[in-house]
Amino acid sequence: MTRNIVVKVLCVALLGLLAACGSKRGDRTLIQNKGSDTLVNVAQAWAEAYAKKKPGVAVAVTGGGSGTGIAALINGTVDIANASRKMKQKEIDLAKSKGIEPKEWVVGYDALAVYIHKDNPKNQYTLKELADIYGDGGPTTSWNDLGVKIPGCGSAEIVRFSRQNNSGTYAYFRKTVLGKGDFKLGSMDLHGSKDVVDAVEKTPCAIGYSGLAYATEHVQLADVARDANGPYVTPTVNSAVDGSYPIARPLLMYTNGEPTGATKEYLDWILSAEGQAIIKRKGYAPVK
Amino acid sequence: MFAATELNNGNRRTQTLIKVLLLTMTLLLIVPVLIILTMLIVKGGPVLSFEFLFSDPKDEMTAGGIFPALMGTVWLVSVALLASVPLGVAAAIYLSEYAGDNWFTRTINLAIINLAGVPSIVHALFGVGAFVLFFKFGTSILAASLTLAVMTLPVVIVATRESLQAVPQAFREACWNMGATRWQTIRRVVLPNSISGILTGVILEVSRTAGETAPIMFTGAVIFMPFLPEGVGDQTMAMSLHLYAMATQVPLPEHATNLPYGVALVLIGMVLAMNAVSIGFRVWLRGKKKW
Repeated sequence: MTRNIVVKVLCVALLGLLAACGSKRGDRTLIQNKGSDTLVNVAQAWAEAYAKKKPGVAVAVTGGGSGTGIAALINGTVDIANASRKMKQKEIDLAKSKGIEPKEWVVGYDALAVYIHKDNPKNQYTLKELADIYGDGGPTTSWNDLGVKIPGCGSAEIVRFSRQNNSGTYAYFRKTVLGKGDFKLGSMDLHGSKDVVDAVEKTPCAIGYSGLAYATEHVQLADVARDANGPYVTPTVNSAVDGSYPIARPLLMYTNGEPTGATKEYLDWILSAEGQAIIKRKGYAPVK
Repeated sequence: MFAATELNNGNRRTQTLIKVLLLTMTLLLIVPVLIILTMLIVKGGPVLSFEFLFSDPKDEMTAGGIFPALMGTVWLVSVALLASVPLGVAAAIYLSEYAGDNWFTRTINLAIINLAGVPSIVHALFGVGAFVLFFKFGTSILAASLTLAVMTLPVVIVATRESLQAVPQAFREACWNMGATRWQTIRRVVLPNSISGILTGVILEVSRTAGETAPIMFTGAVIFMPFLPEGVGDQTMAMSLHLYAMATQVPLPEHATNLPYGVALVLIGMVLAMNAVSIGFRVWLRGKKKW
Protein backbone atom coordinates (compact mmCIF):
# COMPACT_ATOMS: atom_id res chain seq x y z
CA MET A 1 0.00 0.00 0.00
CA THR A 2 1.16 3.47 -0.91
CA ARG A 3 0.11 4.89 2.38
CA ASN A 4 2.13 2.39 4.33
CA ILE A 5 5.28 3.37 2.49
CA VAL A 6 4.74 7.03 3.20
CA VAL A 7 4.01 6.32 6.84
CA LYS A 8 7.15 4.20 7.09
CA VAL A 9 9.32 6.88 5.50
CA LEU A 10 7.96 9.47 7.91
CA CYS A 11 8.51 7.18 10.90
CA VAL A 12 12.10 6.48 9.94
CA ALA A 13 12.75 10.18 9.49
CA LEU A 14 11.16 10.97 12.86
CA LEU A 15 13.11 8.23 14.61
CA GLY A 16 16.31 9.53 13.08
CA LEU A 17 15.53 12.98 14.37
CA LEU A 18 14.70 11.72 17.85
CA ALA A 19 17.88 9.67 17.94
CA ALA A 20 19.81 12.74 16.92
CA CYS A 21 18.15 14.80 19.64
CA GLY A 22 18.71 12.19 22.28
CA SER A 23 22.26 11.32 21.30
CA LYS A 24 24.79 11.92 24.01
CA ARG A 25 26.35 15.34 23.75
CA GLY A 26 30.12 15.12 24.09
CA ASP A 27 31.99 17.15 26.67
CA ARG A 28 32.49 19.69 23.95
CA THR A 29 32.57 23.35 24.84
CA LEU A 30 31.33 25.65 22.11
CA ILE A 31 32.67 29.17 21.62
CA GLN A 32 30.54 31.43 19.43
CA ASN A 33 32.66 33.79 17.38
CA LYS A 34 31.03 36.29 15.02
CA GLY A 35 31.65 39.57 13.23
CA SER A 36 34.13 41.36 11.01
CA ASP A 37 34.61 40.13 7.47
CA THR A 38 38.18 41.37 7.67
CA LEU A 39 38.83 39.02 10.54
CA VAL A 40 36.75 36.09 9.30
CA ASN A 41 39.61 34.31 7.59
CA VAL A 42 42.04 34.62 10.44
CA ALA A 43 39.23 33.69 12.84
CA GLN A 44 38.72 30.58 10.75
CA ALA A 45 42.43 29.82 10.77
CA TRP A 46 42.50 30.18 14.56
CA ALA A 47 39.41 27.99 14.96
CA GLU A 48 40.89 25.32 12.71
CA ALA A 49 44.25 25.28 14.50
CA TYR A 50 42.63 25.37 17.94
CA ALA A 51 40.42 22.40 17.10
CA LYS A 52 43.58 20.36 16.60
CA LYS A 53 45.20 21.68 19.76
CA LYS A 54 42.16 21.33 22.03
CA PRO A 55 39.75 18.77 20.59
CA GLY A 56 37.30 19.36 23.46
CA VAL A 57 36.70 22.97 22.48
CA ALA A 58 35.02 23.98 19.23
CA VAL A 59 34.89 27.48 17.83
CA ALA A 60 32.04 28.30 15.44
CA VAL A 61 32.91 31.21 13.16
CA THR A 62 30.39 33.48 11.42
CA GLY A 63 31.00 36.64 9.39
CA GLY A 64 28.59 39.38 8.47
CA GLY A 65 30.58 42.49 9.40
CA SER A 66 31.81 44.22 12.55
CA GLY A 67 28.35 45.68 13.14
CA THR A 68 26.79 42.21 13.01
CA GLY A 69 29.25 40.86 15.57
CA ILE A 70 28.79 43.80 17.92
CA ALA A 71 25.00 43.54 17.65
CA ALA A 72 25.25 39.84 18.51
CA LEU A 73 27.41 40.66 21.56
CA ILE A 74 24.81 43.19 22.69
CA ASN A 75 22.06 40.58 22.22
CA GLY A 76 24.15 38.10 24.18
CA THR A 77 24.28 35.53 21.39
CA VAL A 78 28.07 35.32 20.97
CA ASP A 79 31.01 34.71 23.27
CA ILE A 80 33.48 36.68 21.20
CA ALA A 81 32.63 39.43 18.70
CA ASN A 82 35.19 40.27 16.03
CA ALA A 83 35.48 43.89 14.97
CA SER A 84 37.76 45.88 12.73
CA ARG A 85 36.59 49.11 14.37
CA LYS A 86 36.07 50.21 17.94
CA MET A 87 32.63 49.98 19.47
CA LYS A 88 30.81 53.30 19.38
CA GLN A 89 29.80 54.95 22.65
CA LYS A 90 26.16 54.44 21.64
CA GLU A 91 26.75 50.70 21.25
CA ILE A 92 28.57 50.49 24.59
CA ASP A 93 25.70 52.29 26.32
CA LEU A 94 23.17 49.97 24.69
CA ALA A 95 25.21 46.93 25.77
CA LYS A 96 25.45 48.20 29.36
CA SER A 97 21.70 48.80 29.45
CA LYS A 98 21.31 45.09 28.68
CA GLY A 99 23.81 44.07 31.34
CA ILE A 100 26.66 43.37 28.92
CA GLU A 101 30.09 44.79 29.76
CA PRO A 102 32.08 44.87 26.52
CA LYS A 103 35.78 44.23 27.05
CA GLU A 104 38.12 45.01 24.20
CA TRP A 105 41.09 42.90 23.09
CA VAL A 106 43.59 43.99 20.43
CA VAL A 107 44.49 40.79 18.59
CA GLY A 108 46.43 42.24 15.66
CA TYR A 109 46.80 45.12 13.24
CA ASP A 110 45.66 45.48 9.66
CA ALA A 111 47.00 47.78 6.99
CA LEU A 112 44.04 49.03 4.97
CA ALA A 113 45.49 48.91 1.47
CA VAL A 114 44.39 51.09 -1.44
CA TYR A 115 43.97 48.81 -4.44
CA ILE A 116 44.33 49.94 -8.07
CA HIS A 117 44.36 48.12 -11.39
CA LYS A 118 47.63 46.48 -12.46
CA ASP A 119 47.94 48.85 -15.46
CA ASN A 120 47.35 52.01 -13.43
CA PRO A 121 50.61 54.07 -13.60
CA LYS A 122 49.77 56.18 -10.53
CA ASN A 123 50.61 54.14 -7.48
CA GLN A 124 51.25 56.87 -4.92
CA TYR A 125 48.51 58.76 -3.14
CA THR A 126 48.30 61.22 -0.28
CA LEU A 127 45.42 61.00 2.18
CA LYS A 128 44.19 64.31 0.73
CA GLU A 129 44.10 62.84 -2.78
CA LEU A 130 42.12 59.85 -1.50
CA ALA A 131 39.69 62.17 0.29
CA ASP A 132 39.24 64.17 -2.93
CA ILE A 133 38.39 60.93 -4.75
CA TYR A 134 36.16 59.32 -2.10
CA GLY A 135 34.84 62.19 -0.04
CA ASP A 136 31.56 64.03 -0.44
CA GLY A 137 32.37 67.29 -2.23
CA GLY A 138 35.83 66.04 -3.27
CA PRO A 139 36.73 67.51 -6.68
CA THR A 140 38.40 64.44 -8.21
CA THR A 141 36.03 62.40 -10.36
CA SER A 142 38.16 61.53 -13.37
CA TRP A 143 41.62 60.06 -13.76
CA ASN A 144 42.29 63.06 -16.07
CA ASP A 145 42.06 65.30 -12.97
CA LEU A 146 45.10 63.45 -11.66
CA GLY A 147 46.85 63.49 -15.03
CA VAL A 148 46.68 59.72 -15.30
CA LYS A 149 46.05 57.67 -18.44
CA ILE A 150 45.16 54.05 -17.81
CA PRO A 151 45.17 51.60 -20.73
CA GLY A 152 41.74 50.04 -21.11
CA CYS A 153 39.99 52.79 -19.16
CA GLY A 154 38.06 54.61 -21.88
CA SER A 155 35.94 57.22 -20.12
CA ALA A 156 38.68 57.99 -17.55
CA GLU A 157 35.97 58.24 -14.89
CA ILE A 158 37.17 56.95 -11.55
CA VAL A 159 35.21 53.85 -10.54
CA ARG A 160 35.16 53.90 -6.73
CA PHE A 161 34.72 50.61 -4.93
CA SER A 162 33.65 50.90 -1.33
CA ARG A 163 32.08 48.70 1.34
CA GLN A 164 28.62 48.32 2.81
CA ASN A 165 28.00 50.63 5.74
CA ASN A 166 28.01 48.05 8.55
CA SER A 167 31.56 47.11 7.64
CA GLY A 168 34.36 48.05 10.01
CA THR A 169 36.59 48.60 6.99
CA TYR A 170 34.11 51.20 5.73
CA ALA A 171 33.94 52.92 9.11
CA TYR A 172 37.71 52.99 9.56
CA PHE A 173 38.43 54.29 6.05
CA ARG A 174 35.83 56.99 6.51
CA LYS A 175 37.25 58.10 9.84
CA THR A 176 40.91 58.03 8.79
CA VAL A 177 40.73 59.31 5.23
CA LEU A 178 37.60 61.43 5.15
CA GLY A 179 37.82 62.77 8.70
CA LYS A 180 34.40 64.18 9.57
CA GLY A 181 33.21 64.02 5.96
CA ASP A 182 30.95 61.47 4.34
CA PHE A 183 31.46 59.32 1.26
CA LYS A 184 30.64 60.80 -2.14
CA LEU A 185 27.54 59.24 -3.64
CA GLY A 186 27.92 56.89 -6.59
CA SER A 187 30.51 54.46 -5.25
CA MET A 188 29.94 50.74 -5.68
CA ASP A 189 29.50 49.28 -2.21
CA LEU A 190 30.54 45.64 -2.07
CA HIS A 191 29.84 43.06 0.61
CA GLY A 192 33.22 41.54 1.21
CA SER A 193 36.88 42.34 1.56
CA LYS A 194 37.72 39.93 -1.21
CA ASP A 195 34.97 41.28 -3.49
CA VAL A 196 36.68 44.68 -3.60
CA VAL A 197 40.02 43.21 -4.70
CA ASP A 198 38.33 41.02 -7.33
CA ALA A 199 36.39 44.00 -8.68
CA VAL A 200 39.51 46.18 -8.92
CA GLU A 201 41.31 43.40 -10.75
CA LYS A 202 38.61 43.39 -13.44
CA THR A 203 38.10 47.17 -13.75
CA PRO A 204 40.94 49.27 -15.22
CA CYS A 205 39.33 52.56 -14.06
CA ALA A 206 38.95 51.31 -10.49
CA ILE A 207 40.19 52.28 -7.08
CA GLY A 208 39.22 50.38 -3.95
CA TYR A 209 40.20 49.78 -0.35
CA SER A 210 40.42 46.51 1.54
CA GLY A 211 42.57 44.66 4.04
CA LEU A 212 46.19 44.04 3.06
CA ALA A 213 45.63 40.33 3.61
CA TYR A 214 43.42 40.18 0.53
CA ALA A 215 46.17 41.33 -1.85
CA THR A 216 46.77 39.18 -4.92
CA GLU A 217 49.38 39.46 -7.65
CA HIS A 218 46.65 40.62 -10.06
CA VAL A 219 46.24 44.05 -8.48
CA GLN A 220 48.51 46.90 -7.42
CA LEU A 221 48.81 48.22 -3.89
CA ALA A 222 49.24 51.97 -3.76
CA ASP A 223 51.80 53.66 -1.51
CA VAL A 224 50.13 56.15 0.81
CA ALA A 225 51.51 59.32 2.41
CA ARG A 226 50.02 61.30 5.29
CA ASP A 227 50.52 64.56 3.32
CA ALA A 228 52.34 65.85 0.27
CA ASN A 229 55.62 66.23 2.22
CA GLY A 230 55.48 62.85 3.91
CA PRO A 231 57.11 59.71 2.65
CA TYR A 232 54.95 57.37 0.54
CA VAL A 233 54.78 54.12 2.49
CA THR A 234 54.03 50.72 0.99
CA PRO A 235 51.46 48.78 3.03
CA THR A 236 53.19 45.81 4.62
CA VAL A 237 52.93 43.92 7.87
CA ASN A 238 55.99 45.81 9.14
CA SER A 239 54.81 49.29 8.16
CA ALA A 240 51.51 48.53 9.88
CA VAL A 241 53.26 47.48 13.10
CA ASP A 242 55.68 50.42 13.28
CA GLY A 243 52.91 52.90 12.47
CA SER A 244 54.59 54.43 9.41
CA TYR A 245 51.73 53.33 7.11
CA PRO A 246 48.98 55.88 7.68
CA ILE A 247 45.88 53.68 7.32
CA ALA A 248 46.58 50.83 9.73
CA ARG A 249 44.08 49.86 12.37
CA PRO A 250 43.82 47.53 15.31
CA LEU A 251 41.84 44.32 14.89
CA LEU A 252 39.65 43.75 17.89
CA MET A 253 37.76 41.10 19.73
CA TYR A 254 35.10 41.90 22.30
CA THR A 255 33.95 39.72 25.16
CA ASN A 256 31.25 40.24 27.76
CA GLY A 257 33.27 41.26 30.81
CA GLU A 258 36.41 39.44 31.86
CA PRO A 259 36.27 36.11 30.01
CA THR A 260 36.44 32.87 31.93
CA GLY A 261 37.03 29.21 31.18
CA ALA A 262 37.30 28.12 27.55
CA THR A 263 36.84 31.63 26.15
CA LYS A 264 39.68 32.97 28.28
CA GLU A 265 41.96 30.08 27.28
CA TYR A 266 41.13 30.68 23.61
CA LEU A 267 41.91 34.41 23.83
CA ASP A 268 45.14 33.72 25.73
CA TRP A 269 46.12 31.28 22.99
CA ILE A 270 45.29 33.81 20.25
CA LEU A 271 47.61 36.33 21.91
CA SER A 272 50.34 33.71 22.45
CA ALA A 273 53.23 33.25 20.04
CA GLU A 274 51.37 30.39 18.36
CA GLY A 275 48.19 32.37 17.70
CA GLN A 276 50.12 35.43 16.59
CA ALA A 277 52.17 33.38 14.14
CA ILE A 278 48.88 32.44 12.45
CA ILE A 279 47.68 36.03 12.11
CA LYS A 280 51.04 36.98 10.62
CA ARG A 281 50.84 34.12 8.15
CA LYS A 282 47.41 35.39 7.05
CA GLY A 283 48.91 38.78 6.13
CA TYR A 284 48.01 40.81 9.23
CA ALA A 285 50.39 42.41 11.68
CA PRO A 286 50.76 40.69 15.06
CA VAL A 287 50.38 42.55 18.33
CA LYS A 288 53.76 43.88 19.45
CA MET B 1 -7.85 21.90 -57.30
CA PHE B 2 -7.21 24.63 -54.76
CA ALA B 3 -4.50 27.02 -55.93
CA ALA B 4 -2.85 28.92 -53.07
CA THR B 5 -3.88 32.52 -53.18
CA GLU B 6 -1.66 35.45 -52.17
CA LEU B 7 -3.54 35.55 -48.88
CA ASN B 8 -2.79 31.86 -48.17
CA ASN B 9 0.91 32.32 -48.87
CA GLY B 10 1.08 35.38 -46.67
CA ASN B 11 -0.60 33.51 -43.84
CA ARG B 12 1.78 30.58 -44.22
CA ARG B 13 4.83 32.86 -44.12
CA THR B 14 3.58 34.58 -40.97
CA GLN B 15 2.86 31.17 -39.49
CA THR B 16 6.43 29.96 -40.12
CA LEU B 17 7.93 33.22 -38.92
CA ILE B 18 6.04 33.14 -35.63
CA LYS B 19 6.90 29.50 -35.09
CA VAL B 20 10.62 30.13 -35.63
CA LEU B 21 10.51 33.19 -33.43
CA LEU B 22 8.83 31.34 -30.55
CA LEU B 23 11.21 28.40 -30.94
CA THR B 24 14.19 30.78 -30.74
CA MET B 25 12.81 32.28 -27.55
CA THR B 26 12.37 28.83 -26.08
CA LEU B 27 15.91 27.85 -26.99
CA LEU B 28 17.21 31.08 -25.46
CA LEU B 29 15.67 29.96 -22.18
CA ILE B 30 17.84 26.86 -22.16
CA VAL B 31 21.05 28.74 -22.95
CA PRO B 32 21.74 30.02 -19.41
CA VAL B 33 21.12 26.57 -17.96
CA LEU B 34 23.51 25.01 -20.46
CA ILE B 35 26.18 27.63 -19.82
CA ILE B 36 25.90 27.23 -16.06
CA LEU B 37 26.04 23.44 -16.21
CA THR B 38 28.93 23.43 -18.69
CA MET B 39 30.97 25.86 -16.61
CA LEU B 40 30.28 23.95 -13.42
CA ILE B 41 31.19 20.62 -14.96
CA VAL B 42 34.31 21.90 -16.73
CA LYS B 43 35.64 23.88 -13.78
CA GLY B 44 34.13 21.98 -10.87
CA GLY B 45 34.35 18.46 -12.28
CA PRO B 46 38.10 18.00 -11.72
CA VAL B 47 37.70 19.13 -8.10
CA LEU B 48 35.27 16.33 -7.26
CA SER B 49 36.65 13.28 -5.57
CA PHE B 50 35.71 10.94 -2.78
CA GLU B 51 38.01 12.91 -0.52
CA PHE B 52 36.41 16.24 -1.50
CA LEU B 53 32.98 14.96 -0.49
CA PHE B 54 33.96 13.23 2.72
CA SER B 55 36.68 15.28 4.37
CA ASP B 56 36.76 18.50 6.38
CA PRO B 57 37.79 21.82 4.84
CA LYS B 58 41.44 22.60 5.53
CA ASP B 59 43.68 25.69 5.48
CA GLU B 60 40.73 28.10 5.77
CA MET B 61 38.72 26.49 2.94
CA THR B 62 41.53 26.61 0.41
CA ALA B 63 42.00 22.84 0.58
CA GLY B 64 40.24 19.74 1.85
CA GLY B 65 36.59 18.92 1.39
CA ILE B 66 33.06 19.89 2.20
CA PHE B 67 31.74 17.10 4.41
CA PRO B 68 30.49 19.28 7.30
CA ALA B 69 28.68 21.58 4.87
CA LEU B 70 27.15 18.61 3.05
CA MET B 71 25.89 17.07 6.28
CA GLY B 72 24.69 20.47 7.46
CA THR B 73 22.52 20.91 4.38
CA VAL B 74 21.08 17.42 4.83
CA TRP B 75 20.21 18.32 8.43
CA LEU B 76 18.66 21.65 7.50
CA VAL B 77 16.57 20.20 4.68
CA SER B 78 15.39 17.18 6.70
CA VAL B 79 14.29 19.16 9.73
CA ALA B 80 12.62 21.76 7.51
CA LEU B 81 10.69 18.99 5.71
CA LEU B 82 9.62 17.40 9.01
CA ALA B 83 8.17 20.72 10.09
CA SER B 84 6.60 21.94 6.88
CA VAL B 85 5.23 18.81 5.19
CA PRO B 86 2.78 17.73 7.92
CA LEU B 87 1.71 21.33 8.50
CA GLY B 88 1.43 22.17 4.81
CA VAL B 89 -0.43 18.99 3.88
CA ALA B 90 -2.84 19.38 6.80
CA ALA B 91 -3.57 22.96 5.83
CA ALA B 92 -4.08 21.98 2.19
CA ILE B 93 -6.46 19.15 3.12
CA TYR B 94 -8.51 21.55 5.22
CA LEU B 95 -8.61 24.17 2.48
CA SER B 96 -9.44 21.70 -0.27
CA GLU B 97 -11.77 19.25 1.46
CA TYR B 98 -13.42 21.03 4.37
CA ALA B 99 -13.37 24.79 3.92
CA GLY B 100 -16.30 26.44 2.24
CA ASP B 101 -15.95 29.31 -0.18
CA ASN B 102 -16.35 32.22 2.24
CA TRP B 103 -14.41 35.33 3.29
CA PHE B 104 -12.43 33.38 5.89
CA THR B 105 -11.08 30.89 3.34
CA ARG B 106 -10.39 33.66 0.88
CA THR B 107 -8.40 35.55 3.51
CA ILE B 108 -6.34 32.46 4.25
CA ASN B 109 -5.67 31.93 0.55
CA LEU B 110 -4.60 35.53 0.18
CA ALA B 111 -2.24 35.15 3.15
CA ILE B 112 -0.68 32.04 1.59
CA ILE B 113 -0.12 33.80 -1.72
CA ASN B 114 1.46 36.74 0.06
CA LEU B 115 3.65 34.45 2.14
CA ALA B 116 5.00 33.01 -1.09
CA GLY B 117 5.89 36.48 -2.29
CA VAL B 118 7.86 37.53 0.78
CA PRO B 119 11.58 37.88 -0.08
CA SER B 120 13.82 35.33 1.60
CA ILE B 121 15.80 37.98 3.47
CA VAL B 122 12.59 39.10 5.18
CA HIS B 123 11.94 35.50 6.21
CA ALA B 124 15.49 35.48 7.55
CA LEU B 125 14.86 38.51 9.74
CA PHE B 126 11.53 37.05 10.85
CA GLY B 127 13.42 33.87 11.77
CA VAL B 128 15.89 35.83 13.88
CA GLY B 129 13.14 37.69 15.67
CA ALA B 130 10.77 34.76 16.16
CA PHE B 131 12.81 31.58 16.49
CA VAL B 132 16.27 32.78 17.56
CA LEU B 133 15.28 35.51 20.01
CA PHE B 134 11.61 35.13 21.00
CA PHE B 135 11.39 31.33 21.27
CA LYS B 136 15.01 31.33 22.47
CA PHE B 137 16.11 28.51 20.14
CA GLY B 138 19.33 30.47 19.67
CA THR B 139 21.19 30.30 16.40
CA SER B 140 20.65 26.62 15.72
CA ILE B 141 19.58 24.09 13.12
CA LEU B 142 16.10 24.19 14.67
CA ALA B 143 15.77 27.95 14.16
CA ALA B 144 17.22 27.85 10.66
CA SER B 145 15.09 24.90 9.55
CA LEU B 146 11.90 26.41 10.95
CA THR B 147 12.68 29.62 9.06
CA LEU B 148 13.15 27.57 5.88
CA ALA B 149 9.93 25.70 6.65
CA VAL B 150 7.91 28.90 6.98
CA MET B 151 9.42 30.12 3.74
CA THR B 152 8.54 26.99 1.79
CA LEU B 153 5.11 26.31 3.34
CA PRO B 154 3.22 28.04 0.50
CA VAL B 155 4.90 25.76 -2.04
CA VAL B 156 3.72 22.66 -0.19
CA ILE B 157 0.25 24.02 0.47
CA VAL B 158 -0.39 25.16 -3.10
CA ALA B 159 1.01 21.99 -4.71
CA THR B 160 -0.93 19.74 -2.31
CA ARG B 161 -4.16 21.63 -2.71
CA GLU B 162 -3.93 21.51 -6.47
CA SER B 163 -3.27 17.79 -6.53
CA LEU B 164 -6.15 17.17 -4.13
CA GLN B 165 -8.44 19.15 -6.38
CA ALA B 166 -7.25 17.16 -9.40
CA VAL B 167 -8.92 14.07 -7.91
CA PRO B 168 -12.28 13.88 -9.72
CA GLN B 169 -15.21 14.98 -7.61
CA ALA B 170 -17.08 11.85 -8.73
CA PHE B 171 -14.64 9.71 -6.68
CA ARG B 172 -15.61 11.55 -3.52
CA GLU B 173 -19.31 11.44 -4.31
CA ALA B 174 -19.17 7.74 -5.02
CA CYS B 175 -17.44 7.21 -1.71
CA TRP B 176 -19.91 9.33 0.24
CA ASN B 177 -22.78 7.44 -1.35
CA MET B 178 -21.33 4.25 0.04
CA GLY B 179 -21.76 5.79 3.49
CA ALA B 180 -18.13 6.78 4.08
CA THR B 181 -17.39 9.81 6.20
CA ARG B 182 -15.51 12.78 4.87
CA TRP B 183 -12.30 11.70 6.64
CA GLN B 184 -12.61 8.10 5.43
CA THR B 185 -13.00 9.44 1.90
CA ILE B 186 -9.93 11.62 2.25
CA ARG B 187 -7.80 8.89 3.76
CA ARG B 188 -8.83 6.01 1.48
CA VAL B 189 -9.58 7.75 -1.80
CA VAL B 190 -8.39 11.34 -2.10
CA LEU B 191 -4.93 11.09 -0.54
CA PRO B 192 -3.80 7.88 -2.29
CA ASN B 193 -4.85 9.39 -5.60
CA SER B 194 -3.05 12.68 -5.05
CA ILE B 195 0.16 11.54 -3.42
CA SER B 196 2.21 12.09 -6.59
CA GLY B 197 1.17 15.73 -6.76
CA ILE B 198 1.96 16.20 -3.08
CA LEU B 199 5.43 14.78 -3.71
CA THR B 200 5.94 17.36 -6.45
CA GLY B 201 5.44 20.04 -3.85
CA VAL B 202 7.94 18.35 -1.59
CA ILE B 203 10.46 18.10 -4.45
CA LEU B 204 10.14 21.79 -5.14
CA GLU B 205 10.55 22.51 -1.47
CA VAL B 206 13.70 20.41 -1.16
CA SER B 207 15.29 22.17 -4.11
CA ARG B 208 14.55 25.59 -2.76
CA THR B 209 15.49 24.74 0.83
CA ALA B 210 18.87 23.30 -0.10
CA GLY B 211 19.86 26.34 -2.11
CA GLU B 212 18.73 29.18 0.15
CA THR B 213 21.41 31.23 1.88
CA ALA B 214 19.73 34.28 3.35
CA PRO B 215 17.30 32.54 5.73
CA ILE B 216 20.02 30.42 7.32
CA MET B 217 22.94 32.79 7.57
CA PHE B 218 21.50 34.66 10.55
CA THR B 219 19.54 31.84 12.12
CA GLY B 220 21.80 28.81 12.31
CA ALA B 221 24.47 28.44 9.69
CA VAL B 222 28.08 29.33 10.37
CA ILE B 223 30.97 29.89 8.01
CA PHE B 224 33.28 27.52 9.79
CA MET B 225 32.80 24.96 12.51
CA PRO B 226 35.30 22.17 13.04
CA PHE B 227 32.78 19.44 13.90
CA LEU B 228 29.53 17.93 12.71
CA PRO B 229 26.21 18.92 14.28
CA GLU B 230 24.89 16.34 16.73
CA GLY B 231 21.39 17.65 17.26
CA VAL B 232 18.95 20.34 16.28
CA GLY B 233 20.34 22.66 18.94
CA ASP B 234 23.74 22.84 17.25
CA GLN B 235 24.78 25.28 14.60
CA THR B 236 26.02 23.92 11.33
CA MET B 237 27.88 24.69 8.18
CA ALA B 238 25.81 24.54 4.97
CA MET B 239 26.57 24.15 1.29
CA SER B 240 25.01 27.41 0.14
CA LEU B 241 26.72 29.51 2.81
CA HIS B 242 29.99 27.65 2.23
CA LEU B 243 29.80 28.63 -1.41
CA TYR B 244 28.97 32.22 -0.51
CA ALA B 245 31.87 32.43 1.94
CA MET B 246 34.31 30.91 -0.50
CA ALA B 247 33.27 33.25 -3.27
CA THR B 248 33.22 36.48 -1.28
CA GLN B 249 35.40 36.09 1.80
CA VAL B 250 38.22 33.69 1.25
CA PRO B 251 41.26 34.73 -0.79
CA LEU B 252 41.76 31.56 -2.82
CA PRO B 253 45.26 30.81 -4.04
CA GLU B 254 45.81 30.00 -7.73
CA HIS B 255 45.55 26.22 -7.25
CA ALA B 256 42.23 26.47 -5.43
CA THR B 257 40.22 28.84 -7.64
CA ASN B 258 38.10 25.96 -8.92
CA LEU B 259 36.94 24.87 -5.45
CA PRO B 260 33.79 27.03 -5.43
CA TYR B 261 32.75 25.50 -8.75
CA GLY B 262 33.11 22.08 -7.16
CA VAL B 263 30.89 23.13 -4.24
CA ALA B 264 28.28 24.51 -6.63
CA LEU B 265 28.36 21.33 -8.69
CA VAL B 266 27.82 19.17 -5.60
CA LEU B 267 24.96 21.41 -4.44
CA ILE B 268 23.23 21.14 -7.81
CA GLY B 269 23.98 17.43 -7.94
CA MET B 270 22.43 16.94 -4.49
CA VAL B 271 19.23 18.69 -5.49
CA LEU B 272 19.05 16.77 -8.76
CA ALA B 273 19.63 13.47 -6.96
CA MET B 274 16.91 14.19 -4.40
CA ASN B 275 14.59 15.25 -7.20
CA ALA B 276 15.40 12.12 -9.19
CA VAL B 277 14.48 9.89 -6.26
CA SER B 278 11.19 11.71 -5.75
CA ILE B 279 10.42 11.77 -9.46
CA GLY B 280 11.08 8.04 -9.70
CA PHE B 281 8.73 7.49 -6.79
CA ARG B 282 6.13 9.65 -8.51
CA VAL B 283 6.34 7.78 -11.78
CA TRP B 284 5.96 4.50 -9.93
CA LEU B 285 2.92 5.81 -8.06
CA ARG B 286 1.37 7.21 -11.20
CA GLY B 287 1.65 3.79 -12.78
CA LYS B 288 -0.72 2.58 -10.06
CA LYS B 289 -3.24 5.33 -10.73
CA LYS B 290 -6.69 3.95 -11.25
CA TRP B 291 -8.04 6.40 -13.80
